[in-house]
Amino acid sequence: MLRNLADLYRHRALVGVLTTRELKARYRGSVLGYFWSLLNPLLMLIVYSVVFQLLLPNRSETTSPYALFLFCGLLPWNWLSASLTDSASSLLTHGALLRKVLFPAEVLPFVAVFSQTAHFLLALPVLFGGLLAAALGLFGPARPLSWAIVQTVPLAILEGIFLLGLGLFLAGLTAHFRDVRDLLATALSLLFFATPILYTLGDLKNHPVAVLLSLNPLAKLFTSWQEALFFGRWISPGDWLRLTALCLVTFVIGYGFFDRIRDSFAEAV
Amino acid sequence: MAAAAVEARSLSKHYRRWNQTRTFGTLKSAFLGLGFSRALSPGEVVAALEDVSFSVEPGETFGVVGANGSGKSTLLKLVAGILKPNSGSLAVNGKVSALIELGAGFHPEISGRENVVINGIMLGLTRKEIEKKLPSIIEFSGLSEFIDQPVKTYSSGMYVRLGFAVAIHTDPSILVVDEVLAVGDEAFAHRCLDTIREFSARGKTIFFVTHSLALVEELCDRVLYLEKGKVKGIGDAREILSSYRLDVSAQEGERLAAVQAVNQEELRQASAAPVEIPSEASSPAAPETPTAEEKPRRWGDRSAIITACRVLDRTGAERYAFQTGETLTIEIEGSPQRPLDDFVFGIGLFTTEDFCIHGTNTDIDGFMPERFDGPAKVHITLPACTLGAGTYLVDVAIHSRRGTPYDYWRGACRFRMDSPRQDAGVYCPDRNWNFLGAVRWK
Repeated sequence: MLRNLADLYRHRALVGVLTTRELKARYRGSVLGYFWSLLNPLLMLIVYSVVFQLLLPNRSETTSPYALFLFCGLLPWNWLSASLTDSASSLLTHGALLRKVLFPAEVLPFVAVFSQTAHFLLALPVLFGGLLAAALGLFGPARPLSWAIVQTVPLAILEGIFLLGLGLFLAGLTAHFRDVRDLLATALSLLFFATPILYTLGDLKNHPVAVLLSLNPLAKLFTSWQEALFFGRWISPGDWLRLTALCLVTFVIGYGFFDRIRDSFAEAV
Repeated sequence: MAAAAVEARSLSKHYRRWNQTRTFGTLKSAFLGLGFSRALSPGEVVAALEDVSFSVEPGETFGVVGANGSGKSTLLKLVAGILKPNSGSLAVNGKVSALIELGAGFHPEISGRENVVINGIMLGLTRKEIEKKLPSIIEFSGLSEFIDQPVKTYSSGMYVRLGFAVAIHTDPSILVVDEVLAVGDEAFAHRCLDTIREFSARGKTIFFVTHSLALVEELCDRVLYLEKGKVKGIGDAREILSSYRLDVSAQEGERLAAVQAVNQEELRQASAAPVEIPSEASSPAAPETPTAEEKPRRWGDRSAIITACRVLDRTGAERYAFQTGETLTIEIEGSPQRPLDDFVFGIGLFTTEDFCIHGTNTDIDGFMPERFDGPAKVHITLPACTLGAGTYLVDVAIHSRRGTPYDYWRGACRFRMDSPRQDAGVYCPDRNWNFLGAVRWK
């Protein structure tokens, strides 16, 4: 695997240009271009604010303002869901390339995750702006802005590693079973509700499914996002350790699987 | 001599037959590191290449020929490293650039220029190198006008030109070319060929696949001839190509022989049938010239029946593919219903467009019938059949001297002629040129 990573490092220029190409092609022909990456989450935040401030006011004190709370989980979730969907089909979409040109196949799922990462990073300023607005009291009572927000950096790195690992795994699997793509769509919408995004694990303390939900490996990651971004709390060293282990193990297993079956891709896609 | 540029030893490549039920098994065995085809029984794989060995010296232009599905493209992909062999070894010394599908990986939405950069990096150049070569690539492609347009607006020819321009600029030591010169206009095709020649002049190795045998003959030093994934021949281009051409025409002959077998079977059934063959054209003054489609293929009053018609070669073996100038014999096998003393055996040679090239019979050639009272074979031999390349149909007939057909069979068999030279027409005579006066030849 280390040799593969070194090989991939040599192909970093390729990963770079392909990611840029994805992004360019994504907005080619639209008037606002990259600005959409920023505008989309902003519009989303406005819609949620209208809905949850005016139409469905939230009664819980802890997760108020709810639109902002939701946003803290939703951005990392959208990143996850889009990355996994894209990387799962990355080998198939670029099948012609795999059959005609020699290059390491992992470049493709990497590019899928990286271009989604770019969208995520472009959306972050909107989130920070929202948190700042809340601190200034624009969403009801002023909320203090905490330094805990800097934990965004390690959390994003860990989620990135996790997504690369799972993305490689899914890409390899999808090359052989097209079913994965359809299954993934359903699995993601189920996971969305099974992961603390709309709620915190604390909200469900006495609910019978709480134990089950806390077994979800994503629960730790998304709870950490909520803690760091919304609640402004520091994540414990133990949790950092668990998170790091989860992400690294996912990466190693995903890459290992991908590596084992890589020779079959040119024929399977 | 330095190490071979490409060295293959008993190379084999199998493809899986698509069979969804076994996918889990193969994936499992792959994951456990056993290799993909390990879990497959022989019935589940298709051999694309079997036990192929060859070596290509540096600087050589090496051609691969063979029919469709003979494994040429698989071999190229193995050399390019895109596919892995199932067994055997393949050593490739040097940087390979594969012109397998030009412009693979071009993104339709972004400009030609950006695609060139991406494609170049994909083919192994660094960003700096590609930036430096960009002007010359654009110049070569001849697309400077359109280079900043999205590639989706390009014609397929432009697409390929740009792809070729990039691939040729990656400075490979081994160039793998797969049937790519068929696209692009005449001028660009010449340019590509010039580039390939220049490559070969600079001592680069070229691995070349095309169906254009003339091109192979012109460019290649040595040729590998694949048939159904196996090496049929390897060696000097001229020698291998002539054997390939012979095989192709032999196959054509086999196909005609199969047609012949069906014809003969029909014939047998027709002669076994108790009822008379429709004899609407039985009067000697003969046919009210029906159109080609309506013409019955056989007619006559069946006083005598043709039981077989074959084409034989010099040795008397049945064969349906010949080279111009070869000895060719047409055999008519027939038997009378009752003893006959008035009979003529005739043949006619036609092109597939129904143009009569030659027609003759025993009467014309001066044979007086005496008695025909049992099964017989009649041979007419053309000692040097100087027909030009093409497919020819044979009509055979037994009829009375006055012309009443006993059994007349149109298109009883067909055979193929091939001319080693590229001369045109149905007639390929021996010829001599003589020159008088101020004309000289090298």
